[in-house]
Amino acid sequence: MLRFFATFVAIQAVLFGLELTPPVQQVLVVPWTNALAALSAWLVTVFDPGVTATGNVLRSTANGFAVSIEAGCNGVEATIVLVAAMLAFPAPWQRKLTGLAAGIVAVQGLNIVRVISLFYLGQWNFDVFEWAHLYVWQALIMLDVLVVWMVWVRLLPRRVGPGGRPGGPAGGSTAPASA
Amino acid sequence: MTEAAPISTQRPLGGFVVRVIAWLPAAFFVWYFAAPVLTWPAAFIVELVARAGFGDIVRGIAQSGSTLTFATALQPGESGAKAGQITVGVNMLLYAYGLPLYAALVLAAREPHWGRRLAYGYAALTPFVAWGVLADFLKNVAISAGPLVASQTGFVAWQREAIAFAYQMGSLILPTVAPAVAWVVSHQAFLERLRRVVV
Repeated sequence: MLRFFATFVAIQAVLFGLELTPPVQQVLVVPWTNALAALSAWLVTVFDPGVTATGNVLRSTANGFAVSIEAGCNGVEATIVLVAAMLAFPAPWQRKLTGLAAGIVAVQGLNIVRVISLFYLGQWNFDVFEWAHLYVWQALIMLDVLVVWMVWVRLLPRRVGPGGRPGGPAGGSTAPASA
Repeated sequence: MTEAAPISTQRPLGGFVVRVIAWLPAAFFVWYFAAPVLTWPAAFIVELVARAGFGDIVRGIAQSGSTLTFATALQPGESGAKAGQITVGVNMLLYAYGLPLYAALVLAAREPHWGRRLAYGYAALTPFVAWGVLADFLKNVAISAGPLVASQTGFVAWQREAIAFAYQMGSLILPTVAPAVAWVVSHQAFLERLRRVVV
């Protein structure tokens, strides 16, 4: 368990530190955030044609209301946490990669729901928008990360110990099996 | 209640998630209205650290509701010019919203001794709240307030970088990761049982 958490914290710190560097911001984070705004606008136009995206800003052409997708709202930090949790957990690499692919889709999928919901909450009531933006959605996104990780851990093949009894996770030897 | 509640063999994880979502509104409600009390220990830690580590900058700290106000020795203009001192207000809720998430996770797990688990988790999470609040204050005076104010703090380049990193970590990662980790650590038996119930 201790080794899992130490690895988890170390991977997370490295990835988060990298995320903050200008080259990673320029090459990955900013383009990703802009793509997120564009994808959100594209999805919204299915039922609301009066929405456009410019850079990281989602804007209503009807009333001028706009939301800017900033750090913390682009799902990158949540993804980093998920990546760190899956890489740190003892499991076969194939399982890690499969879990990461599915998990990132799940986290980013809910994040798009967050962006779109905040866009409309802001037009309806700014106090509710602030609450949802600053507190509620942050908690829900982390809950999503936790649940995705729990589902992934649950689906890992369990090692068969002596006497045919289940042991820890495949490829692992320490107690995160309990997690 | 001393025995762990049995985990349903049908969609046990789904049931847990539904219970977490059901508990979240109540947890947020209690957290919001009890915030002045719940954040007091974090404010106390911040005051201790600020006075010990940044006593030349911080002249006083006062909590009003869930806002912590730092009275500083810094001046808004040129050092030495006659002007008032800068005060910085930090909304502690921005760094404490992990508390209701942790509470909802604990209550949804329906494990024995949930009250003790809540207390331990609260104690474990409070230093992280203090981290975020203090980093927010330092970021304000060392970076956001501009070069005239930043120059009075005496922080050199690498210290400002460290403050920026601590602030980003304290605002983007720790408020949500800390409660999740605290919950995983304190609910290993629950998670192990969840793993055994293979659908």
